[in-house]
Amino acid sequence: MRRLIIAATCAAALSACVQTKQYADVQFAPPEGEYKLLVMRPDVSVGSVTTGGLVEPRADWTEQSRANLLAALKAQQASRGGNVLILEKRDGLATMGVNSDTVAELERLHYAVGASIALHRYSGAYLPTKRRKGLDWTLGQQAVDLGRRTGYDYALFLHAEDSFASTGRVALQVLGAAGCIVGFCAPNIGGGGQFAYASLVDLRTGEVVWFNVLQAGTQIAGISMGDIRKPEGAAQMVDRLLNRMKPGREVQRAMKASGQ
Amino acid sequence: MSVLVSRRGLLAGGGAIAAAALGTGIAVARILPGAMQPLIGPGYKPTDRDEIGLWQQMERVEEEIAGSNLLIKDPGLNDYLRDLIGNVGGPAAKDMRIYLARIPEFNAVMFPTGFAVVFSGLLLRMRNEAQLAGVIAHESAHFLRKHQIRQWRDVRRKTDLLAIAAMGAGVAGGAAGVYTGDLARLAQLGTILTMLRYNRSLEAEADAMGVRLLADAGYAPMEMSRTWEQLIGELDASAKYRRKKRDRGYSLFSTHPAPEARMADLKLSASEVTIAGRSYEDHRARYLRAIGAIRPTLLDDQVKLNDPGASQYIIDTLAQDGWNGLLRFYEAEVWRLRNRAGDDARAAQGYAVAVQYADAPADAWRWHGIMLQKAGRRAEAKYAFAHYLSVAPDAPDAPFIRQQLQFL
Repeated sequence: MRRLIIAATCAAALSACVQTKQYADVQFAPPEGEYKLLVMRPDVSVGSVTTGGLVEPRADWTEQSRANLLAALKAQQASRGGNVLILEKRDGLATMGVNSDTVAELERLHYAVGASIALHRYSGAYLPTKRRKGLDWTLGQQAVDLGRRTGYDYALFLHAEDSFASTGRVALQVLGAAGCIVGFCAPNIGGGGQFAYASLVDLRTGEVVWFNVLQAGTQIAGISMGDIRKPEGAAQMVDRLLNRMKPGREVQRAMKASGQ
Repeated sequence: MSVLVSRRGLLAGGGAIAAAALGTGIAVARILPGAMQPLIGPGYKPTDRDEIGLWQQMERVEEEIAGSNLLIKDPGLNDYLRDLIGNVGGPAAKDMRIYLARIPEFNAVMFPTGFAVVFSGLLLRMRNEAQLAGVIAHESAHFLRKHQIRQWRDVRRKTDLLAIAAMGAGVAGGAAGVYTGDLARLAQLGTILTMLRYNRSLEAEADAMGVRLLADAGYAPMEMSRTWEQLIGELDASAKYRRKKRDRGYSLFSTHPAPEARMADLKLSASEVTIAGRSYEDHRARYLRAIGAIRPTLLDDQVKLNDPGASQYIIDTLAQDGWNGLLRFYEAEVWRLRNRAGDDARAAQGYAVAVQYADAPADAWRWHGIMLQKAGRRAEAKYAFAHYLSVAPDAPDAPFIRQQLQFL
């Protein structure tokens, strides 16, 4: 009996996880000191997982989470000393002569480039031409223009999704786990979890210099690995995504050589 | 003691579930236009939690669509479309938005928050304003009858039931010592099929309500079924050119009812909503004025799709209201680009016919000249090129043509 409980605990632990995986340009050094960072409007959506396993968007949770993430970002950047502007709306740069259409176009361009990074770096469709090159994608002249006009050094793009199992989904999970006693075991039907990514663009070169994907989820409905509807959960997500920026390969090598 | 059930028995049982889920057949009974009342009034805002969530998501979608570079921004044309949806939009007419996207396909989409996207390929195919208003009325009906949120609730309810049933059957089967995986999979198929069926019945609702909105606004309601007649003809012509049969996938796995069924139902409904003594208009002249400026672009986009069967059918259909220089030119373009044996001679003749019309586009003169030059008819070619330069002096190839003229 005791062995069974241990095995069950292990299975539960294995099916719940928080994972981040980051890639950086080989020349990338995490920004420090006097830098100016522009945070593009974060793309946030939060929903509830129905009994049948569909994600239903929730407007109130989404609003709450977006506000929490913005607050957490401000707090995190304040501690790093950078000069930060967070765009809560697309027309936030109008005073600097950048209209909302230009911002929207850059966001769409980044969306396409980000999807390409996700496909070729994370989803397994690796490209031989990008091997051992770290992160080798660029937004091109459009990003450089934005940097020149606004004076910002970096732009940060953020996307966050979160979902939570509904009562019905949790009840179904309980039934699935109870079934183990009679030999029909469904201990991990899944339900809820986080998916987020952050992407840092150097506005002096237009290149995407750093990219990080966060996945926090569990196969067991009803167990949450983070909750951005709460301020501490949002702070945790920002910390997981942004606080452990690693330098690129060549920078790491140089640091090692100089004995740091 | 466990009950013994054979695997085959289980499969048969599951098949029965799937079949029962399908109901008696594939066809959806005609919905009467009189029964279709709008479910929302002016200034509708959602109050239910699921619908609020859906609306918030759709507001982001609209923001992206409104800023898309696929949109045709012509202000006159956009005002015209806004007026149209204002005419046939029922009680929510003032709340709806409409966007015109440059996509050469027969399509229009209504989103849950009341904004519609009309594809440019639709404007190409419609013969008059009543036909276009019919499609827009159909899309408005989706919004007025809250179809998207009803569809979502239906999907949610069915997937919930399926999940509970599959889990329940699994646990029960586990207790009885029977594997129920096959059964669960068949039930899953049944669930998907009922969802599609529900979708088709909503489409039938939108047709019924659309034809009523159309007639209420004074448009000829019979034009709506004629739109389907044209679509069927086009699909047949396109398939025939490729030596194939038209895809009749409009059955079990289709989200929309078969075009034939829609056409027949719409005919019946149109006569039902027609009031004797009232006059109904198709407003063809007004329609042609509104799309006049972009019609060459619409034809050009279609001809370049490399679907000569469909392109020729569309041009022939539009020409039923009278040939003109523009249609004749694009007819010749279809032949030239098709390039089968004898098509070059056909195209040359086509350009020659096109330039007889006063409204022939400049390119008709250009191609007429090229074809004459190829045939060695230099004097006539010279005349055609000269005419081309006189109507399009700033054409990109004008300097080249001017140089060529010296050697003719």
